[in-house]
Amino acid sequence: MLEIVDLVKKFSGFTLGPLNLKISNNEILVMIGATGNGKTTVLNLVAGLIKPDSGSIYLDGVDITNHPIESRKIGYSFQRPNLFPFLTVYQNIIFGIKKKDRINKKNQIEKLVKSLDISHLVNRNIHGLSGGEIQKISLARTLVVDPKILLMDEPLSSLDNFTKRKLRIEIRQVIKNLMISCIYVTHFEEDVYSLADSVAILKNGRIKECEKLGTLLSYNNLSLNSYSCEVENEYSNYLEGIVVESVNGITKIKIHSFFIELIGDYRIGTLVGLLLKPEDIILSLDMVKTSARNVIKTNILNIGKDDYPTIGVVNVYLLVNGIRLISRITDESLKYLDLKKGDYVYAIFKSTSPRIIRQVKI
Amino acid sequence: MGIKNHQFNIVMMILSGIVITFILFPLFSIITFMDSSKLISEMFSPPLVNAFILSLVTSTISTILLIIFGMPLAYCLARYSFRGKFFINMLVIFPLVLPPLASGALLLGIFSPNAVIGKNFHSLEFTESIVGIIIAQTYVGSPFMILASQASFEAVDVSYENASRILGKSRLDTFVKVTLPLAKSGLLISVLLTWVRTIGELGATMMMAYNPHTISIQIFEDNAIGGLKQALPDILLVIILSVIALFIISIIRNKKEDVIRIRWS
Repeated sequence: MLEIVDLVKKFSGFTLGPLNLKISNNEILVMIGATGNGKTTVLNLVAGLIKPDSGSIYLDGVDITNHPIESRKIGYSFQRPNLFPFLTVYQNIIFGIKKKDRINKKNQIEKLVKSLDISHLVNRNIHGLSGGEIQKISLARTLVVDPKILLMDEPLSSLDNFTKRKLRIEIRQVIKNLMISCIYVTHFEEDVYSLADSVAILKNGRIKECEKLGTLLSYNNLSLNSYSCEVENEYSNYLEGIVVESVNGITKIKIHSFFIELIGDYRIGTLVGLLLKPEDIILSLDMVKTSARNVIKTNILNIGKDDYPTIGVVNVYLLVNGIRLISRITDESLKYLDLKKGDYVYAIFKSTSPRIIRQVKI
Repeated sequence: MGIKNHQFNIVMMILSGIVITFILFPLFSIITFMDSSKLISEMFSPPLVNAFILSLVTSTISTILLIIFGMPLAYCLARYSFRGKFFINMLVIFPLVLPPLASGALLLGIFSPNAVIGKNFHSLEFTESIVGIIIAQTYVGSPFMILASQASFEAVDVSYENASRILGKSRLDTFVKVTLPLAKSGLLISVLLTWVRTIGELGATMMMAYNPHTISIQIFEDNAIGGLKQALPDILLVIILSVIALFIISIIRNKKEDVIRIRWS
């Protein structure tokens, strides 16, 4: 367990802290905050790359505040992974393992390399590898030394969306399999939904809120909309459910008491978290026959005319069996349908729109 | 705008051409004065060979001394912040801006038989000896080693060192396993530059030890006695050595892909 107590670091014009934070064993804490609010500084303080002005850092009950970097047993995955260019992939991975331990750790290394799907790269030198491959190798290099806690500083920020999505799932699985704690710094909403057990919001150098993901979402209408300054909002609709059917590439998911369908094959009983863009939800007054496989009757909770920065676009807040959804439509459509608070409308979206970003097999 | 760019390019090319000609021109005098029938035998005459070997040996020792003492200072200047760093940064440039004869005179001020160190170490001959040559070469060559090595260490992204320390390596391990391999090319160039510079050292060496003759003093003496014609074999030897060194430096510089930045997609 990591515990940060009254930690303060002063810079000219900016003070981080006093900071108090607890991360339990096997917990992934995602830290969000706008640029310049001190997210990376928190990680650098924990890693020992910079010294605090006051306060303490405890790792498994031991005060490591003044311990040298190399003896802290902390893993740090940087935004730019900085693999050593004069070593091969394998040499990079085993860099932190003492020579006498390398034989004993062979199985563990092989397992980790396999789980990250980089077995085919181990004999290569690092030139010409893709960004995603480099991040996976960096993660393997960090994890093989058995860190007690893993620090990740926006490791996916420079990758393309496809690689990001793939890696998020892999990162969470690997961390959970190794049962270590992790502080993951980001300003992407999807990272929060995909990875977080708990979320800490850093503002002006202080922790504004620190809650379990579920608690935070329940306080905030199941979205991170209230934190648009701290995190890039794109999706707004995060839903959790259970796979009840998966046939011919179409999966049916039960969310509370309604069902949605999406593409892909998933094992029945898997708990999933999924994202749905508000722009993908079409509103209709009538039950119409369309190619879209998801047509859900909802009740309009509210119409937020000033909730979206683009002129001529409004957020329509919908309620379906206790679950809130946001649809984003134009002013013209709102007028055309004459939508008002309390009206019943059908929310329509294709099975290609929802995207599973998190899954737990039972 | 296009014409202006074109004119700018022409001006730059003319100015560059003048400098290149200025550097190349003295080399043509070799052809004018060269007597090829005697050249080879003169190049292998015992006094010249002795002076050349002496220069190679002393400059190698000076360079090794600067690797041992100068490189750690370069690393400290590149990596640590401490009180007095500004002053030390200026101090290491001092032998470069000081006229070599003045450096030699100052060295004599402490190493001559009647000076502070010379007086207290009677058994060691600091002047008119190989030791004197090494002292002079080391002093004058020090800025080349320290400044070039400092630049090489500074070019190593500190995040590589941070990554190594976080992976459990000590400062020493990180220096040996990460910093040195990444700075290798730059450090090799600084070693070669220092070595070539110490071979060519004249002013300070002349003050500390006119005898035994290094190759530079041999050139000075031959030129004083018989002009360029007599000094030409000595000069040719130095030119051949310099060309080899420059060739090696160029190869290293071209291969300097150690500090490759990973391309992000």
